Amino acid sequence: MNDVLAERRIPIIKIGDFLIVSIQVDMHDRMAIELQAQILKELSKTGAKGVLIDISVLEMVDSFIGRMLSGMASMAAIMDASVVIVGMQPAVAITLVELGLKMPNVATALNMGKGIEMLEKKLIQRNMEGA
Amino acid sequence: MEEGLTIKNLKERVNKIENILSSVAAGDMEARINSEVEDDFTGVEEAIDLLINDLTDELQQREKTQKELEERLATIQEQQKTILQQQEDLLELSSPVIKVWDNVVVLPVIGTLDSRRTQIMMENLLQKIVDTSCTIAILDITGVPTIDTQVANHLIKTVTAARLLGAECIVSGISPAIAQTIVHLGIDLSSIQTRATLQESMRYAFQQNNQSVVESGTQEHSPHGETK
Repeated sequence: MNDVLAERRIPIIKIGDFLIVSIQVDMHDRMAIELQAQILKELSKTGAKGVLIDISVLEMVDSFIGRMLSGMASMAAIMDASVVIVGMQPAVAITLVELGLKMPNVATALNMGKGIEMLEKKLIQRNMEGA
Repeated sequence: MEEGLTIKNLKERVNKIENILSSVAAGDMEARINSEVEDDFTGVEEAIDLLINDLTDELQQREKTQKELEERLATIQEQQKTILQQQEDLLELSSPVIKVWDNVVVLPVIGTLDSRRTQIMMENLLQKIVDTSCTIAILDITGVPTIDTQVANHLIKTVTAARLLGAECIVSGISPAIAQTIVHLGIDLSSIQTRATLQESMRYAFQQNNQSVVESGTQEHSPHGETK
């Protein structure tokens, strides 16, 4: 069982200052928890400034995964990185809203391109503030 | 023969009654006894004939009524079908989502909103946002006379869902009556961007896109009347 889970781990790719996580399979709860830990570990290891989580192929997001994503954003924010959820499907958005998960602290983007743009803008803003 | 009764051919006549009754029971409403003999038993036979007559009338009446009812039911069903069809057409027609500019879609809402219509509107809008990759959606409710709590709730849900997709939703054209209702109902719209008119929300949308509309001839301008 553990081997199977390890095999189906979701890859985390670092491009430039950002981590890109593309979720291609329907996640179960344990996988979600592991992914969260993995992303945070990778964040501290690489010092990335942003995380893009692509959920465009996820057809079902339950309250647990929704909470995981929302928690992910808060945790990353503490670690000085921003999270952008990318490519959510309309049906998923409706489900989350109906479940009462409004995720006010999570940034979202329509596609990967717009997500990267958003993170870059944030990074520039941050650098300007720092200067 | 018993005293005081004169009945001729009793056995034969009882047999005939039996036969007639069984054919009536089998559905032959024309069968009658039509006794030609006049004696004490004739009254019984005539009474049976009368009963059969009444029964026939009754049955015919019932058949007629049933036919009428069936016809009426068919008409009603036909009308029902038309109504359903039209309702569906109306729902399809009533929520067009228009892409008006790069990155901007507008959903003009006209007429009374009910939960079902708002639901379909919401689905259409979200789908269009994903299809066109527009990050700004304007929900113009100038043409809506009144809203209730449920519809207001739906509007908030739509705006929240659009945000989850990565688009910003602006609500414009809130009439004085609706503004009053919203505040009286205690609905908090502070999380939603609202603009007075469609024009104002377009201006906001251009601002968000780093575009501006410039009158031709006054400043340097691009062919589209916008400068980037």
